[in-house]
Amino acid sequence: MKTNMKLLIVDDSAIIRSRIARILNDPRLNYINVVGMARNGVEAITLYLQQAPDIVTMDITMPEMDGVDCTEKMISLRPECSILVISALSDKATALKTLKKGAKGFLYKPFTDEELIAAFLELTNS
Amino acid sequence: MKSINDNDIRSFVDAVGSFFFHTTNEKVEIRAAYLVEGEIQASTFDLTSYITLSGDFSGRVYFSAPRVMVAHLLLAMHELERDDDRLLDAVGEIANTISGNARKHFGEAMQISVPVTQVTEHDWLNSVVSPHSYVILVKWKQYRASVVVDIQRTA
Repeated sequence: MKTNMKLLIVDDSAIIRSRIARILNDPRLNYINVVGMARNGVEAITLYLQQAPDIVTMDITMPEMDGVDCTEKMISLRPECSILVISALSDKATALKTLKKGAKGFLYKPFTDEELIAAFLELTNS
Repeated sequence: MKSINDNDIRSFVDAVGSFFFHTTNEKVEIRAAYLVEGEIQASTFDLTSYITLSGDFSGRVYFSAPRVMVAHLLLAMHELERDDDRLLDAVGEIANTISGNARKHFGEAMQISVPVTQVTEHDWLNSVVSPHSYVILVKWKQYRASVVVDIQRTA
């Protein structure tokens, strides 16, 4: 049985942040608890240091600090954190870039509820 | 500066269809049209967002929709809050998703900005887009919206 895991949601869109949080109500993901939400990379780093999440969902195109730089910074601070990038940027180069920076997974927007649930299950089983 | 071609526009049309299908599990009616000044106009609705391109491209991609359509979209996404801030957030996310998905075709040399959103007056789009823009007309349920692709290659 999986133990409680802390999740930080990073996205500049309020509707995406609340949608990810809502999907976590699925019973298959009841071991994941949202500990913070950030609108950009700078806010995310502050919350990351305060909350020490086990998992982060990371948008890429954001103001202040984008998701690529934010992923690199988070991994340098605590490499054991699992980062799932969730972005509309659908070129392969962007996905590869974030994986090289230390992200564990990449999910393209737009996504269905089931696609996000599957991504979380894969991330937390690996 | 080089104009974009039909295959380029197809990538945006596919992105629009994908957004609505993944978000609502329903297909949308889509037709693309070349914007000819004085003949085909870009329809402006209550709420409009745009993404500015850079890198090997310049210009903007716009999404414009009526409030009632965006509110219905949020309902389909099980979003409970439907005030103007949320509606504008939604049109911004749609423009961002459509533009980001088009990078599957254009590659990372097409850099995209964060979305700018605003409440728009009738005919605003026609005052800002070039006469060689493409207009993609979208019909979802009984609602109509528009995507305007006003971009050029710079490299």
